[in-house]
Amino acid sequence: MAGGWQWFHRLGSPKWFYEKTTRWLPWLWGAMALFLTVGLVWALLFLPEDYQQGHTSRILVVHVAVAGASLSFFPLMAVAGTVTLVWRMKLADMVARNAAPLGAWFSFLTLATGSIWGSVSWGTWWEWTDSRLVSMLFQFFLLLGVISLRAAIENTETAARACALLSIVGCINVVVIKYSVDWWNTLHQPSSPISMEVGSPNGPEFWVATVVMIVAVYLFLAVSLILATRNEILQRESGAQWVRELALEAG
Amino acid sequence: MSQASAAAAFIATLRRDLLISLKRRNDILNPFMFFIIVVSLFPIGVSPDSAMLRQIAAGVIWIAVLLASMLSMDGLYRSDYEDGTLEQLLLSSMPLYLLVFAKNIAHWLVSGLPVILVSPLLAYMLALPAEGYLTLVASLLLGTPVVGMLGSIAVALTVGLGSRGLILAVITVPMSVPVLIFGTLAVQNALAGGLPLGYLALLGAMLALTICLAPVATAAALRISVN
Repeated sequence: MAGGWQWFHRLGSPKWFYEKTTRWLPWLWGAMALFLTVGLVWALLFLPEDYQQGHTSRILVVHVAVAGASLSFFPLMAVAGTVTLVWRMKLADMVARNAAPLGAWFSFLTLATGSIWGSVSWGTWWEWTDSRLVSMLFQFFLLLGVISLRAAIENTETAARACALLSIVGCINVVVIKYSVDWWNTLHQPSSPISMEVGSPNGPEFWVATVVMIVAVYLFLAVSLILATRNEILQRESGAQWVRELALEAG
Repeated sequence: MSQASAAAAFIATLRRDLLISLKRRNDILNPFMFFIIVVSLFPIGVSPDSAMLRQIAAGVIWIAVLLASMLSMDGLYRSDYEDGTLEQLLLSSMPLYLLVFAKNIAHWLVSGLPVILVSPLLAYMLALPAEGYLTLVASLLLGTPVVGMLGSIAVALTVGLGSRGLILAVITVPMSVPVLIFGTLAVQNALAGGLPLGYLALLGAMLALTICLAPVATAAALRISVN
């Protein structure tokens, strides 16, 4: 019985996480560089012009990927928050803490790339009748709320548990906000059905580029989150023996 | 036995909070006056034209209600925290969920209800057509407790902090968006000649869900904030 849970407790050890990620990071960097280069070069140089949108359709490749990734932050923080509240695992909180600002940046990028694309395709930078714009904006606000709550509470332990609770409540709320904002008739196009036919508007050259970009963005998310969490580990565990040894090794 | 005493604790908390509010009239009056002042600014700032006001009346009243409730919520657990009552509530053998719920109801009775009662008058001043009144009041009756209980979570999370600044607003406002949407949609639907039962039912569903979940979250938040 105890053996079955060992991996879980080991996962909660900052030292174990630090050592593992030291080994994973080069691979993750490499994979990210590969996917990002392929995705961007493909989208910017080789993707044929859309017959209606012209060159602006290239923005969508990035926009769709970033938007998808930005939706994963609240579930991620809610899961990490549950782990913090139930098992008091420090590592989960370190991840959650760094996920919030990153999530805010992703939401902001989603809004920014969407606005730029919208300014050409819809003829407007901002449109309140579009439900996805509005719900993304409020997700952005909620993430700012989590960040400011974290900043306001001095005690690390209390801040961790308060933010964990807020992330869980926020995760439920983001879903409710999304569905209620959907009630307004929306300008945003529904997800396009993909097509296997080369040369059609939603043909493989477009959606494969998008898939490559989605993988790239998720890898970027993972690398950023891991790097930030590693910094946090070094800061919070700066008194620990293994961190001191690490510092001596590095000189 | 234990059920009877839980009910007694619920009623005692409700009574206590109502009594305290009656002794501190300013805490009730300030948000109420704020509500009226905010509403009266809109005709001056936007347009005194009644055709224009008619369109925005429901939204203006709903937004003013949200702002006023944010003002009144700020002190929801503060005095209890400062004089140690909150710790006693946390130590009590009674389910904290029930006590929190009683406090939420008491707060709504003194801060939400007066605003709702005066809202038809303000709606009249904003030239809301007569067919919108009933729906406006119904949507406020269903929606304001939701806002209050959601805000209560945020207040509980920040109760021990010296300077909470904008946190309360940044957390509560996005959470109140669904209520605002359905509240104003219901009134617009009524003005268009429809029967807005669907929107009111959705508000009712939110109220039911909030009653089940929000006091639990508030109780957990209080336990985190008060160590």
